[in-house]
This record gives sequence, C-alpha cells and structure tokens, in this order.
Amino acid sequence: MPPHEQPPKQPAVEINQVSYTYPPTGFDAQSEPAIDQVNLSIAQSTKLGILGPNGGGKSTLIKLILGILKPTKGTIKVFGQSPAQARNQGLIGYLPQRIQADLDWPISVKEVIALPRASHLKPWQKLSTDDHAAINHAIELVDLQDLANRPIGALSGGQLQRTMIARAIAGNPKLLVLDEPTVGVDIAGQQRFGKLIDTLHKELDLTVILVSHDMRAIAAVADRVACLSRSLHFHDSPKGLTPAVLAQVFAHDVAGVFGDIHIDAHLAEDCDDPAHAHPPNQHQHDCGCTENDSDINSSRGAES
Amino acid sequence: MNDLAPAILAAIFAAIVISIMGGALSVFVVLKRLAFIGQGISHAAFGGVGIALVLGVHGATTAGAIGQLAIVAAFSIAAALFIASLSRAHQGRIDTAIGVVLSASMALGFVLFTLAESKHDHDHQGHATHGHEDQHHLIEDILFGNILSTTWPKAATAIAVAIAIITITWFNRRRFIFWAFDEPVVDAYGLSSKRTTNTFLILLALAVVMAMQIAGVVLAAAMLVLPGAAALNLTSKLRPVFIYSILIGAAGAALGMAIGINAGYPAGPTIVLTQSILYLITLTIKTLAPKLRS
Repeated sequence: MPPHEQPPKQPAVEINQVSYTYPPTGFDAQSEPAIDQVNLSIAQSTKLGILGPNGGGKSTLIKLILGILKPTKGTIKVFGQSPAQARNQGLIGYLPQRIQADLDWPISVKEVIALPRASHLKPWQKLSTDDHAAINHAIELVDLQDLANRPIGALSGGQLQRTMIARAIAGNPKLLVLDEPTVGVDIAGQQRFGKLIDTLHKELDLTVILVSHDMRAIAAVADRVACLSRSLHFHDSPKGLTPAVLAQVFAHDVAGVFGDIHIDAHLAEDCDDPAHAHPPNQHQHDCGCTENDSDINSSRGAES
Repeated sequence: MNDLAPAILAAIFAAIVISIMGGALSVFVVLKRLAFIGQGISHAAFGGVGIALVLGVHGATTAGAIGQLAIVAAFSIAAALFIASLSRAHQGRIDTAIGVVLSASMALGFVLFTLAESKHDHDHQGHATHGHEDQHHLIEDILFGNILSTTWPKAATAIAVAIAIITITWFNRRRFIFWAFDEPVVDAYGLSSKRTTNTFLILLALAVVMAMQIAGVVLAAAMLVLPGAAALNLTSKLRPVFIYSILIGAAGAALGMAIGINAGYPAGPTIVLTQSILYLITLTIKTLAPKLRS
C-alpha cells in the first residue's frame, strides 16, 4: 500500500453532470432520463457502494462507467481517460449481476478465467508467462486452486461466482465493478463475499464499486456509500445514511422495512463469522444470520 | 480410383474441406444455439437462387455458376444480418425473426422460379417441356444438393471460400469462444458483442452457402450442427471438442462420398445421413460409457 502522505491521486472515476436517456423503444414510447445530472468523484482505493431502488439507474451508471453506453449529457473519466479507453487497457474488471454464461460449455475454470486475456491476443500468440502468472494469482486469491481444471458446469453457485471474480481480476484491473453481486445470497454469504472483496482490495490496491438495492450487501463491502435514484441523493460514509436519507432514495418510509438497522461496524462484526452462532432468536432481527447458518455450512461442506 | 473424373475428385475434395469447415463452426452453432438460424439462412438462400435466376445468372457456364454463388452468398449474408437486427427489434426473440425471413425468402424464391420459368417458356415460343424438366431438376439440386455434377472451377471456388472461412474462424477463435460462452459480459471486456455476432453470422451465412453446394437448402444446416453435436457427446474439454468435431465432419464426408459414389446414392443426403449415424454412435457412447465404467 502506498504511504498516505503522497499527493492526492487522480480520482478513479470522475462523473461530471452526467445524464442518460435511453432511446425510445417503440412507436408510442416516451423516454425519461434513467439517470439525471449525476456528479460523483470516486477516489482511488475506496470501496464505494451505490445503493438505490430497482429502476433507479444503477445498471445504467455501471454501463456508463464501463463505456458500454455514452452519456447523453456530461462527461465520465476513468483514471483520467474515457471509459472505453480505460476498459480496453484492462483497467476495469466487471462482475455481472447474473451469471448468464452457458454452463454447458466444455471449458475449464482456468480457461474461463483466461478468456479476457486470451481474447485480446493476436491469433498466433499464446498466453505469456505473465498472463499465466496473473491468471494463477487470481485463482489463488479466490481460492480455486483445487478446482482450476474442473469443467465450469461442475461448480456450485458460490464457486462459479468466485470464478467470475477471478476472471474480473485476472486482467490486473485497478477498478472492480460489481453489479448486485449478492442477490439471493444470505447475509453470512454476503459477509464472506465482503471479506473476499476486502482481501482483493488490499492485495491488488483496487478501487471497488458495488451496486445494489440491498443495504446489507453494501454494508458488507463498502466504506463509502452513494445513493442513486435517478439522481444522486447522498455520497458519504455509511454512518451518515439515516432512515430519512433512505426514505428519500427509496421514495417511501423505509424505517418500517429496515427496522433499526443502521449500517455500522456493529452489524458487520455481528455477522462476521457464521460459525459463531448466536443463541436462537437473539439478533435474528438485526442481521438474520443465525437463520441461515446451516445452509452456509452445508454449502461450504459441498465445496471441499 | 483412376477412372474418377477430375470433377469427381474435386467434388470429393470440396466435400471434405467444406465438412472440415462445418466441423469447426458447428461447435459454436450448437453451443450458441444457432442451429435454427442456419436453417433460416439456408432457406433464405433459396430466395437468392431465385434472384440469380431471374437476373439470368445460372449455373450453365463457369462464370454463371460463380456469379450465382456470389449472388446467393450476398443474399444469405443480408438475410443473416437482417435476422439478427430483426431479433434485436423483437427483444431477442430470434425464432420470430427466423420464421419471418425463412418463409418470406422461400416464398420469394418460388415466385421468382416461376417467373424465370415463364420467361424461359416465352423465349422459346414453345411448350418447352424440356425446360420444365430442367427446372424441376434444378430445384431438386438446389433443395438437396448435387455435388457430383459440379465442375472443377465451381468446386475450386467452394474449396477456396471454405478455406477462407476456416482461416477467419481460427483467427477469431478466442473472441468467438468468449462471445459464445458469455455474450452479456464481453462488451465490458472491450469486445463488441454486436460486431462479434455480425462477424460470426457473416461467416455462418457463407458457410451455409458452401454447405448448400453439397447438401442443398434443406440439408445444409445439418452439416453445421451434426459434427459439433457429436463431438460434444465425447468430451467436455475445449480443444478436443473442436478436433473431434472436425474429424467427425471430415469422416462423415469421406464415408458419405464413398458410399454415394459406389452405390449411386445422392451425395449430399448420404453425407448428412452418415454424419447423423456418427452422431447416434457418439450419443450411444455418451449414454453407455458411464454405465460400463461403473
């Protein structure tokens, strides 16, 4: 890790007055902007969670950062360059929301992880020693050494996700973009995911952007939070995220939905270790992790 | 084999090279679930044949044959790209797009055939019964293929195009694998999914037109499905799948041609039948192997 005294680094992502409106899809369709005049500067090495309701423009923002969409208005810079340039230099790693890869493919875990690097080789080139080293390092970081030669279809859901994380980091990116990575994952799984991202963040000095509608998913990973509901409502440390802010973002009173949950260190510690089971009923309302412990242990057991 | 005419040797060679091409592409076709789009393209090609015929470009001369091939290829590529853009407009419902293009082209083809035929009748001022027979023969050749009556320039053209397709596929193999395996993410890794799709569809359309030279409109797509489907029964490893698929395609073509020539069967259907039998054998191996092992 670089010493803190260094002069402030250029932001990883600089979003300046960005709006995006999808082109109308039908004869009678009218388009409203999916995101509207967003300003956001993401410092290097932060782990930013972008929280927002479904349809709040989170996926659009990700596509803009990845350079798949171009802003209708405003500018985006990723490490001082256009998103497409940054992406094509391998500066961005991306984990999709749902894994839609075709698991019937006769392809091994390692081959999947190598795909981004391999697809940019000249036809007559082979993966270099550097490529292999980076791929193997990525495999080690997500702890898939034992499964590297397995066919992709033989993996469990969690192993598959780790494969896709390894694929995202195998190109040595400086920015890792995670789109709703823990949908349908219980809270202990989220915590485990948070730990993995934390390890990668430290090992690879990554800037991490995590997008989710789920506050717990954000809490498990992020040290900064931004709230997006078409426009940006909040951008600060998670501690400032009060029910009033959330009510504004989610457009209704969320206090009833989230109860007393605040994103704070206490919650993270409580759920840190799934094996450290709480007595039944206690804390269950707080983090819900006791309920699902048995699932987690059994899925772990299946992996080894 | 000394008594084989050069055209027959060229036909055998063309069948094998085109089957190698089919073997290489069919792995992608099967895994990317494009078998039906192959059918769509080959039937659309029928419309292209109709256009060539109305324009007076037909296979009687070498130049005509190659001109016809070019028109059919251009029409098929246009149909393939049209299917892709139509399916985007239908929110990815590619079956709707294929259904529309396939039937429209087939209908167009038949209408143009009749138009060309009536022109033909008119030119000769007579009943032209001979012309009618030719026409029906021609339609049968287009539908089911007739490689054994090919000429060597036509076979050489098909071989050259097939080799070009194989080469371009090899050049793009890693991109195609990434795209076919996980298309939704490739844009995020700097690979344009739209451009890759279009590149593959153009290659597929050309490949279908080459396969049509052997197996005709109705059976061409089979040559772009069977070898890959068979190979996938045998292995779950990336490189061997492609090798097996190419070997199965080539073996099917060689065997099919040998049987066809010696027994006097039509070559295209015999090749497709042989490849189908090879597929059934691999399916049996796949089903029985685990039971035998245990």
